[in-house]
Amino acid sequence: MPDIAIDAPGTSQLFMGNEAIARGALEAGIGFATAYPGTPSSEILGSLAPVAKKMGIYAEWSVNEIVATEAAAGASLAGVRAITAMKQLGVNVASDFLSILVMSGLGKGGLVLVSCDDPGAISSDNEEDARNLAKSLGMPLLEPGNFQEAKDMTKWLFDLSEEIDSICMLRSVTRIAHSRGNVKLGELPQKEHKAYFDQIHDLRDVKPTKFMPHPVPSHHAALLKKLEKARERFESSPFNWYVGPDKADLLIITCGSCWFYSRDVVKELKLEDRVGILKLGTLWPLPEKFVEKHLNKSQKILFVEEVDPFLERSVMEMAASLPPDSPRPTFYGKRSGHLNAYGEMDQDVLIKVIASMTGLTYQPRDIEYAKKAEELAKNYVPERSIAFCPGCPHRATFWSIKNTLKLDGRNGFVVGDIGCYGLALRPTGFYQSRSHYCMGSGTGVANGLGKLGQHGFNQPVLAVCGDSTFYHAVIPALINGVHNQSNFILIILDNGGTAMTGFQPHPGSELNAMGEPAKFISMEDLCRSMGAHVEICDPFDLKNTTATLLEMMAKDEGAKVVVMRRQCELIRGRKEKPPYKVHVDPDECIGEACGCDRLCTRVFHCPGLIWDKESGKSRIDEVICTGCGVCADICPQGAIVKEAA
Amino acid sequence: MEAKGARELFEGVIDAGLCASCGGCAGGCPYLLPYRGRIVLMDNCLLSDGQCYQYCPRTFTDMEAVSQKVLGVPFSEDEFGIVREIFLARSTDAEIHEKGQDGGAVTALLSVALAEGIIDGVVETKMDDNKIPHGFIARNREELLGCTGVSYEPSPVLEALNSLPQESAEKLGIVGLPCHVASVSKMKTYPPKNRMNIDNVKLVIGLFCGWEFSGGFRQFLEENFDLPQVDKFDIPHHPAHTFDVYTKSDKKSVELEDIGQYISEACSYCWDMTAEFADISVGSGRAKFKGWNTVVVRTKAGAELMDIARKKGALETQPIPIESIDNLKRASLNKKKKALSSIIAKTGDKKNLLYLGISQDLANKLLV
Repeated sequence: MPDIAIDAPGTSQLFMGNEAIARGALEAGIGFATAYPGTPSSEILGSLAPVAKKMGIYAEWSVNEIVATEAAAGASLAGVRAITAMKQLGVNVASDFLSILVMSGLGKGGLVLVSCDDPGAISSDNEEDARNLAKSLGMPLLEPGNFQEAKDMTKWLFDLSEEIDSICMLRSVTRIAHSRGNVKLGELPQKEHKAYFDQIHDLRDVKPTKFMPHPVPSHHAALLKKLEKARERFESSPFNWYVGPDKADLLIITCGSCWFYSRDVVKELKLEDRVGILKLGTLWPLPEKFVEKHLNKSQKILFVEEVDPFLERSVMEMAASLPPDSPRPTFYGKRSGHLNAYGEMDQDVLIKVIASMTGLTYQPRDIEYAKKAEELAKNYVPERSIAFCPGCPHRATFWSIKNTLKLDGRNGFVVGDIGCYGLALRPTGFYQSRSHYCMGSGTGVANGLGKLGQHGFNQPVLAVCGDSTFYHAVIPALINGVHNQSNFILIILDNGGTAMTGFQPHPGSELNAMGEPAKFISMEDLCRSMGAHVEICDPFDLKNTTATLLEMMAKDEGAKVVVMRRQCELIRGRKEKPPYKVHVDPDECIGEACGCDRLCTRVFHCPGLIWDKESGKSRIDEVICTGCGVCADICPQGAIVKEAA
Repeated sequence: MEAKGARELFEGVIDAGLCASCGGCAGGCPYLLPYRGRIVLMDNCLLSDGQCYQYCPRTFTDMEAVSQKVLGVPFSEDEFGIVREIFLARSTDAEIHEKGQDGGAVTALLSVALAEGIIDGVVETKMDDNKIPHGFIARNREELLGCTGVSYEPSPVLEALNSLPQESAEKLGIVGLPCHVASVSKMKTYPPKNRMNIDNVKLVIGLFCGWEFSGGFRQFLEENFDLPQVDKFDIPHHPAHTFDVYTKSDKKSVELEDIGQYISEACSYCWDMTAEFADISVGSGRAKFKGWNTVVVRTKAGAELMDIARKKGALETQPIPIESIDNLKRASLNKKKKALSSIIAKTGDKKNLLYLGISQDLANKLLV
């Protein structure tokens, strides 16, 4: 990872979009940074935390996004610039607080919220367009179109935030957040933070603070004024620009990563003289005058943006209110059906649309050649589906869950949650998870299912959640279940960190984001203090885990908890040698014969097991096997042998 | 033999209400697991010719082929199969008497077989603390005595047999109900693959059986009795009208008609009351012969064991009165008739007798 705190103004560094944002925050002189991990946002705090001590800032992986936002606002109240980062779904979690914060305004410290959106939902459960939240909540919104802007916009947003006394939002997307590009660095401020909350109760001059929404209408009116002020600043922003001819056959209005795609496509089709691009960086409030100036560039305007028609609607709304003699171009985009309001944008999609709109035919390569190339490429792709890593404790847990539910025989089922174990919807988790919504929702949904006895419901309900998810959003749902005696079992898959996003610490960790000792909060003590019956299992002990689950499932006695405790293999493997050396005894392996039918490679299918078609036997992929030894316990023939390594 | 797999086993037997939970499909298979009276499908097995289907006593069974292989004679159409000898017997051992059911003849015979080295172990039913029956291999007299008593619930005994390692050389005896004996007989007729050598089974003792309890019976037991304290269950003859539950200090009786709803549907399709493919079949002595067993010796191996047991003085015997034999014939024939009509009621076709590979002539004769 590059050093985002490098003191080399004027030099160019190769930064990931998220690192550029973090650098922007450092250049803005932040003193406080919070986040809850979530792809594609995690590297923002992930790159700030290691330099926090050196830069004299505080960095925290907060328990969830709303607490992260509230904590950052706390710093602002005491005059310290603060940044909080999250993925698009996290903004929903924070939105309750944000809806009030926008009306109360800030302290003297600027406050910036970064949402990294995930068009195409590569690592998410929705592809929500957080730009809409900025608009509906009332936060000025910028979106970088390159890596330099990612840094520069972040820095500038702190100035704007303090100037208009409002939290501001930066929206990034996966392809900016996780790609790298050159970023020219600015100065790092040498600034000592003096945190002080100045709205104290002063008997000589008693007045309420402004840090509340009341009276709401007047605060609301003030917010609208702040937004108008932001719009004024946006009108002359260097983050908005036009490239192309004065009179174009087609005008593209775009933002963010779609700027890259638009530029590439225009270049590829050699349309630089015929197609203009209006790239916007300040998205909301819309710099209407600036946009209006460009509306007469062409009779045809195409909006190129990811997910929702956000700019499209804003510009059309503005155009509708223009005087009658104003230019009346035709608008193309999602509304016209030229582009989809879902999925990721890329050059392949865009080039077809722009070619057809400009009367060109575009054939990237010979069709026959393309077919052959595709077939050839497929030969090099290993036959492997998306799966838990070799040695993942979740595989063992879901194996036991599957067996328990089958043995129990009452059609019990698992309501899932957000984390690596979301893969339990797939073959790697034996299709055990039957639903999957948002952080903490598995336990919430289980609350309802577990109270349906009076309506004839008698299926056992298992809710699963990860350790980080437990602290993030499950605790209230569990309290509700214990209090209301809802019949479900919460299974906490405790692998010792926020594994899916890169093993960030959580309140059950002994170190914080900056590597300093933190107060460890025991999940089992917490659950027991609620009055829940808690059992702790080692998921690699399949026999005991199944027995414990069966026993707990046999009785309906309110919400219960099983902690499946095993460290994530990716972490254990870095510190320790494999516990076992595993091999398959080919004389014992009966492969596809009756008595096995490839249980290990067909059903259990850890990627560390290989089915050797030629010999009709299984074998271990020694390169990736982590020596967990669980497959030796499931082999019905005793053909998989584990020996202490 | 029909070549079908787990899928068809569930369609044709288990989900169709024919499964006796004998465990013949389980033990050598990771996909089928007996659990609390059910056979559970843990995952999908894709094989189209599974041994689960092959050895199920409720999939097609060619009685003639099995009889030839197991008993060495053509299939007998007599009321309760091949009989070399029939008599009443009881153990001479006080300890066996105390722990066993009725006359303790089965335990006495097995003790002799173990002591004489005819067998090294006995595959049979053992009840756990909660009186859940499961398969167990008793390798000495003490373990054998730990398996006495009748459970009246389906016991997946054969899971224990099928779980033995392929290279196992132990000589084994098996004690089971007619369904267990039928499954083992199919294994002997068509030897299993990737499992222990079925020729190692040297002795099969069958127990007379009318029916078992299943379904909600387990819950009934758990709700009404402190099962770890229970010493013994019994349905005393004759006439059988109570289910008796003994603890150290107490005996509770339940009227059979009150728990009739738990009688297993699967048993209504079973046509074999006396385990006709066993070496020796044993039932209780009825009415005035309480405390005795009815013993039917069917094979040479059975006869040889009886001789030794007599010589060793392990068993006391007496002739069985002709009227008892007639009663037994009547009861056995009755079960066959009932089973046939239940099967035909299910299939709706007089020619479709499900598992029952008997001649149409015999079927017609029984249906009269």
